[in-house]
Amino acid sequence: MFENPKDLIPAIDELGYVIEEELATVLFLLLKLEKPLLLEGNPGVGKTQIAYILSDLMGYDLVRLQCYEGLDVNNAIYEWNYQKQLLAIKIHEGGQKSEKEKEDLIFGEDYLLKRPLLRAIDSEKRMVLLIDEIDRSDEEFEAFLLELLSDFQISIPELGTIKAIHKPIVILTSNRTRELSDALKRRCLYHWVNYPSMEKELKIIKKHIPHIETALAEQIASYVQKMRNLKLDKAPGIAETIDWAKGIAVLQREDDPIYSSLSCLLKSEHDMNVVTSELFS
Amino acid sequence: MDHYSNYHSFSEALVGFSQAARRHGLSTGIQCTKEAVASALEGLWLDKDQFSYALCSLFAHSVEEKQLFVPIYNRYWRQRGTRINDKRDYKNKKTVKKQSVNSAVMVGTGQQDSSEETVESKTTTGSNSKETLKKTDFSKLNVIQEKQLEILSEKLVSEMSLRIKRRRKKMLHGQIDLGHSIRKNLQNGGAMIDLIRTKHKKDKYRLLVLLDVSGSMDKYSFYLLKFLWTLKHHFKQIEAFTFSTSLLRITELLQDKDLAMSLARVSQNAKHWSSGTKIGECLKEFNEQYAKRYLNGNTLTIVLSDGLDTGEPEVLAEAIEKLKLRSKKLVWLNPLKGMQGYEPIQMGMKTALPSLHHFGSAHNFDSLLSLESILINA
Repeated sequence: MFENPKDLIPAIDELGYVIEEELATVLFLLLKLEKPLLLEGNPGVGKTQIAYILSDLMGYDLVRLQCYEGLDVNNAIYEWNYQKQLLAIKIHEGGQKSEKEKEDLIFGEDYLLKRPLLRAIDSEKRMVLLIDEIDRSDEEFEAFLLELLSDFQISIPELGTIKAIHKPIVILTSNRTRELSDALKRRCLYHWVNYPSMEKELKIIKKHIPHIETALAEQIASYVQKMRNLKLDKAPGIAETIDWAKGIAVLQREDDPIYSSLSCLLKSEHDMNVVTSELFS
Repeated sequence: MDHYSNYHSFSEALVGFSQAARRHGLSTGIQCTKEAVASALEGLWLDKDQFSYALCSLFAHSVEEKQLFVPIYNRYWRQRGTRINDKRDYKNKKTVKKQSVNSAVMVGTGQQDSSEETVESKTTTGSNSKETLKKTDFSKLNVIQEKQLEILSEKLVSEMSLRIKRRRKKMLHGQIDLGHSIRKNLQNGGAMIDLIRTKHKKDKYRLLVLLDVSGSMDKYSFYLLKFLWTLKHHFKQIEAFTFSTSLLRITELLQDKDLAMSLARVSQNAKHWSSGTKIGECLKEFNEQYAKRYLNGNTLTIVLSDGLDTGEPEVLAEAIEKLKLRSKKLVWLNPLKGMQGYEPIQMGMKTALPSLHHFGSAHNFDSLLSLESILINA
């Protein structure tokens, strides 16, 4: 479909995502080598969005697994439908079926609840699998993922090994709240998503708010760039920049729309105070 | 010399690059090399930039490795006649430069006398730079290592705090509550589908750190203070004091998000820095003035001191015993314990030892990280 990474740039641009050649090359490799991609970067730089864009671009459905502390196999891969199994046991209590037949029945696919990872593997169509914020999950869960990421298969003790019909496009994201294991990293392509440069941020603003004046967009991008160099609790991400630009556009008739819409961008009193004293005093 | 032109074919050159990358610290394997060849076959080798981006995504697995990758790539594929010093060249060097010790260490700078002497060092074959850094004695760190350790300690303490929180969370789930489980499962016809576990009451968890900043601790107190600052930003319930001939509460001084600012604030207030040591009297002062407020049955008390006390041993014995009774656990970490052949025979240490739950070392970052197991079991 795409013969060169450069072909990806305009296609992704049309979907509303500004992409540089470096990320385009990595996505090109992801599609060609069918190897999972690990995206690391600060919160709000657009890591998750990349999976959605890729899903739109390729026309594949997206399955998202949001990681959290305590996420286990039952919530990520599969779980037996215990209630249904119990019901089946009661129904077949006085029946003719042998013990073995009953066991085969209740541990069959009809009684299996497929969670995101198994759904992505077992699907008839190729899918994009987004494993979001993997750094929030426990190390034990990371170990579960290794088989999936290297062989695209999942082992279920009662059923055996389920191999992917179509290898899913796997994207993992991490905010780097903890270091991931080397084993996991080795199985992935790696890309660090940085905050956008001034030029890129300007392009993003214009893409999302086409009618915005260039001078205003430049002013917004320049402020945000400066804010990222301040010691803030939460540096503004791209989504916040867009929200701010939209806020300014709405409040354009107010006295000082840039200052009065700062709450779209900054999420704590400490950050407000720092920005006010450093940039607006 | 590592350069692609030394090889006869492109795939050989790629294998050569993979080996060069491995020698210079990147964790590349055969799979990486195979995939590098595959990516080249996709036509990426025709464009220099795309080729470098592709190799970077395959060979570098973190943002730090990415920074390492760029010069290796440039020297191998682009430049001629330059060479990156091989890591192995450093590994077996028998000498390292060591800064000599100056007793007047200034808070906030940590700088010591710049006159240098060379001393014997242990061979560290097989350990990577992070591991070496963690194991380096604080008194032997150079300026670059200091900076690296600052970054590393922030990361490791953050991970440590995350692990402790998770472990404690898991420990809150207790035994199966049979009565509750039976009642809950009546709706399933008595089949035990949902098991209910008893929940332990979450204890309020406190940490108290008493840092010795007397003259004899000069080589270590600055780094321990930095460690304290990092701890402060990852553990909510922490109280910190410095002591030498007098006691100073520094909890609030460490609150600044900027390390340099925090250290500067401590330095403005710490009049007793680098003076003598009266551990017993300072602990007594703590017991009298602060213990009621900051100690309860759930406090883990950590004393960071070399135990070289010039006060009366009886005062210390009484004060440390009181401290032990009011704390859940009393831990003493002594930087001197990391020295080969160290014996706790000084009067101060000898007096305190019987009252301690744990006596460990605090001479390098690795020894401080052993706090994790103490904190988990506290």
